[in-house]
Amino acid sequence: MLQNRRDFLRGLVSISAGAIALAFDTPAQADTQAARTAPSTHRWGMVVDVAKCIGCQACTVACIHENAVPEDNFRTIVSTYEVHEGERTDAYMLARLCNHCEKPACIPVCPVGATFQRADGVVLVDGERCVGCAYCVQACPYDARFINPVTNKADKCTFCAHRLDAGLLPACVETCVGGARIFGDLRDPQSSVRRLLAEHQGEIKVLKPEQGTVPQVFYLGLDPRFAGKVDGEAALWRPSHQEA
Amino acid sequence: MDTHIVELVNVTRDTAWLPWAVQYFFLIGLSVGSFLLSLRHYVFARGDVRLARLALLGALVCGLPAPVALLSDLHQPGRFYHFYLFFTPNSWMSWGAFFIPAYVTGLLVYAWLALRPDFAARAAAGGRLAALWRLLAYGGFESLGARRLAAGITTVAALLVALYTGMEVEVVRARALWHTPFLPPQFLLTALAGAVGLALVFNRSFTGYSVETEARLNRLLLWLQCAVIALGLGWFALASSGLNATHARALAEVADSPRWQLTAVWAALAAVAPVALIVWRPVGSGWITGLIALHSAWMIRWTVFIGGQDIPKTGAGFYDYHLPLGHDGLLGLLGTAGLWLFLLIVIASFVVPPRHDRAAH
Repeated sequence: MLQNRRDFLRGLVSISAGAIALAFDTPAQADTQAARTAPSTHRWGMVVDVAKCIGCQACTVACIHENAVPEDNFRTIVSTYEVHEGERTDAYMLARLCNHCEKPACIPVCPVGATFQRADGVVLVDGERCVGCAYCVQACPYDARFINPVTNKADKCTFCAHRLDAGLLPACVETCVGGARIFGDLRDPQSSVRRLLAEHQGEIKVLKPEQGTVPQVFYLGLDPRFAGKVDGEAALWRPSHQEA
Repeated sequence: MDTHIVELVNVTRDTAWLPWAVQYFFLIGLSVGSFLLSLRHYVFARGDVRLARLALLGALVCGLPAPVALLSDLHQPGRFYHFYLFFTPNSWMSWGAFFIPAYVTGLLVYAWLALRPDFAARAAAGGRLAALWRLLAYGGFESLGARRLAAGITTVAALLVALYTGMEVEVVRARALWHTPFLPPQFLLTALAGAVGLALVFNRSFTGYSVETEARLNRLLLWLQCAVIALGLGWFALASSGLNATHARALAEVADSPRWQLTAVWAALAAVAPVALIVWRPVGSGWITGLIALHSAWMIRWTVFIGGQDIPKTGAGFYDYHLPLGHDGLLGLLGTAGLWLFLLIVIASFVVPPRHDRAAH
């Protein structure tokens, strides 16, 4: 009897330990743990050449397809503006995405450490850990984050980390018609991004520099009126559920 | 040259902190305020017994449903245990996950120690529930030392809750309206004013209305409202003078909006009206001053959270928030109110002594 009880308790402990291990140490979590700690010689970054962007939204669509971004949400978009100056009317296009900042505002606020930065600079969300508190959504100065209505977790541009790891370019860069999105390794002096940054040292700007987040998405030809919150008339477009 | 910019295509982000968050910040604020209001009698054995009892009732009925509202605001509520598995000391929200249970547990122990002699008296009076009262009294000793200890620990937890709820919002640099040192003290002051308002409403709602209690609460509300107005004016002065860039940007983002102008006028009237009413009628105005104080405490939180998230961080103009009718909107607000009402009915029967006992208190 005593033996049976001891066996039963031993079994119970084993089952409990197994259940805890299953709950807290899934293969997906092991992958994210590896991503958190993996060393890298790269530091990925992007230069957006504003003059080359034609506002075709091919990048927006490519991103949606590559990353299964749900309806009404965007990991990247080309904000398009009509600028009236006296008699003259121009269009202005500005590609927006997560800036994969050097000092990301989203990481320190996360209450469970779900948001993290890889050694190559890519800021990611650990979907296995995220509680969907949306604190990171509030903290991002670029409105680059949202709560994915399908997964109920924080979502954002990952620089297509899965493609980078396979030696490919992010989908938005791959598809850019005008070659406005230039992607590469900021640590490599021979990379196109580094050369562009060196060539246009005085002209390169970032969005909202006063926020102190040190973005790693750089803009060539950025009109200062569009570097922060744009002072203008709001877009007519609304998410479909709001229209309904 | 005259420039006019029209945004043709841009992203619209949904409100990520839902009305549940407003309810949480409102309820936990009222609870902390009510708890602090009850201390004078239960710790120092001074002051108004009825006031302390009503405040204790307010602390309990607001403190217990508050974490439910907070949990509901998570988009993954089933993962609440991640807060404890993955403690992140640089996040105020992570600290909050420890402060809230500490406060609520402390409050329950403090309330029990405060009410224990009452339970014993009710057990002694007999009746159908005598056994329950006897069980709750657990001897029924007037343990002032234990009560003071519980009050001390709970006060620390309450102040930490007040600190974290303010700082959690204040540190969000991305939102100019939130990123101000005026916010945490304003949250605390409006919470205290709301707690006084709740006690005023309870004073009129439960039998045994006391004129002295109302006068005392109205006097306190008068000072609190003056402090709320002073702090609001301080923020406005800093923002309109342009001395601080963040404050100036916060004002500039909303100043031209008719909706925000209406909100500002409404908030100012709601802050001044109780002051005028109390000066005019220090007694007999408790219903209305109490309700206005409660309304102001809720309104500031709604405006800060829902209104604040309506301001795009990069895009032009405003996002349009429409209150959904489902659990993420109206149903959530009604659900919290329903839970609050249920708890009020249950807890009032423990905290407010029955009519025949009242003479003894």
